[in-house]
Amino acid sequence: MNEYWDRELETITPGGLERLQLERFNETIQRARRSKFYKKRLPDRLKSLEHVKDIPLTTKQDLRTGFPDGFLTVGLEDVIRLHSSSGTTGRATVIYHTRRDIDNWTELVARSMYMTGVRRGDVFQNMMGYGLFTGGLGLHYGSERLGALTIPASSGNSKRQIRLMRDFGTTVIHITPSYALHLYSIFEEEGLNPRQDLNLRIAFLGAEPYSNEIRKKIEELYGLDAFNSYGLSEMNGPGVAFECTEKDGMHLWEDSYFLEVIDPETGECLEDGHEGEMVLTTLMREGMPIIRYRTGDIASVYTETCACGRTHRRISRIKGRSDDMLIIKGVNIYPMQIEKVLMDMPEVGHNYLIELERVDYLDTIKVKVEVRQEIFHGKATELEGLKREVAENLKNEILITPRVVLVEPNSLPKSEGKAIRVVDKRTTGAD
Amino acid sequence: MASQVTVFVENRPGRISKIARILGDNGLNIRAITISDRGEYGLVNIITNDPDRAYKVLSKEGLSVSRQNVIAIIIEDHPGALSDVTEYLNRSSINVANAYGFILQSREKAVLILEVDDFEKAQQVIRGGGYHTLTKRELHNL
Repeated sequence: MNEYWDRELETITPGGLERLQLERFNETIQRARRSKFYKKRLPDRLKSLEHVKDIPLTTKQDLRTGFPDGFLTVGLEDVIRLHSSSGTTGRATVIYHTRRDIDNWTELVARSMYMTGVRRGDVFQNMMGYGLFTGGLGLHYGSERLGALTIPASSGNSKRQIRLMRDFGTTVIHITPSYALHLYSIFEEEGLNPRQDLNLRIAFLGAEPYSNEIRKKIEELYGLDAFNSYGLSEMNGPGVAFECTEKDGMHLWEDSYFLEVIDPETGECLEDGHEGEMVLTTLMREGMPIIRYRTGDIASVYTETCACGRTHRRISRIKGRSDDMLIIKGVNIYPMQIEKVLMDMPEVGHNYLIELERVDYLDTIKVKVEVRQEIFHGKATELEGLKREVAENLKNEILITPRVVLVEPNSLPKSEGKAIRVVDKRTTGAD
Repeated sequence: MASQVTVFVENRPGRISKIARILGDNGLNIRAITISDRGEYGLVNIITNDPDRAYKVLSKEGLSVSRQNVIAIIIEDHPGALSDVTEYLNRSSINVANAYGFILQSREKAVLILEVDDFEKAQQVIRGGGYHTLTKRELHNL
């Protein structure tokens, strides 16, 4: 199916792309220099893209330090939306969008969805959380732009999801892979077979890492084509890179993002084909341009061209992180966030271990807390109270309710230097 | 007054035998033992002939232990004796958090152990009812 949403841009020649990128990079520099953060960090203009590597990198920490408006290049009256990371511990980041930013982002998402085969006439059920999370609103806008009938179902409430799919003949879904697997068990309970009882043909699986086996399993269970995608809120959200119908690597939209891959240790730029940390620059964003952003995501760039005819380079699945960020139920969490909450509770202190598990395809966080002599008074009610308090405090910080398990004193690994207090027992997502 | 030690244990094999071994090795006699099961963990309540030493040796082995005053009432070992006591407590509005018992001499005397919210008040009520409660010394000499 060689049809394009924007043939000219999607099949642009390498030379044409380079000229476009240089022009947009220089426009981005001009805009970015109006922000407090980039004012003195950038050259006047680049003579060629060769010189991009001389610009200093921007990190997540820079975004935190610049919170809330250090990166803003326009007045707040020109901003029509913001997306912010969770976090009550002052580690928040925020991304501001002007009207044109939302418009460009929407265009990229529509282009991506169209590339997988979504058309006017499709019924798109968006089962991702709306709100500050970019995945929900991002695809919602893209789907409307494309002209599909959009159902803003949001996440959860499995029976209602199934009802909606049946009542309105949903053909396209946006869902986390773990929820897709979980939902299948609900179909079974209801005595339904998604292959026969639904009209699904396309699924966008996102927000958490998953293997190719899981993709195939979901395709088989539901009788549809599942597509992988890549996005991060710092780069708008979904629509940075998407698979085409070849399902072999994700086309990164290079008219809107400048892609580099670096050695995370040395910061040196790597050739295509080599695995490293992706560094991205927004080429279109007005309100809050970000230049040479360290994504923390490890991937490689394909060297071959794609049979679909699109010239934008493809990236591999994300192989891991260059930092310790965890993705749990689609939420980005740093172990530090969990640690801070627990350390702030004198009853808990250093005596805990966090285990990530996948139970019935769903991510769970288990927090093991040692019941030391000092906090033990022989009362079960007191211990149950502690469990509740730990669970509530963590929920406030990371938005996920953990399972708290009390264990005997000295049963957890002792902290020697930098203790490993997070154990990820989930099977790895990357291929 | 009598006291019990309570040990925090994870719900996995070998925890009771560990406690029994520690007490046995230290020459301590177990009068009664009960477990309140809380799912992944449990609380083991133990009456021994020497609660102070039981507390010390179990703590020394790295277990989380607490000590608590309990009421140990001597009752007759015959049908209906337990209901007499509990009905009396009920009338006196004593709330019992946990209760268990053991027999001293078959068909003669038994001991009822009560964990109560308000120890002082319960103590008075029990004595006022003409019941005999075991002292630390009596418990030791059983």
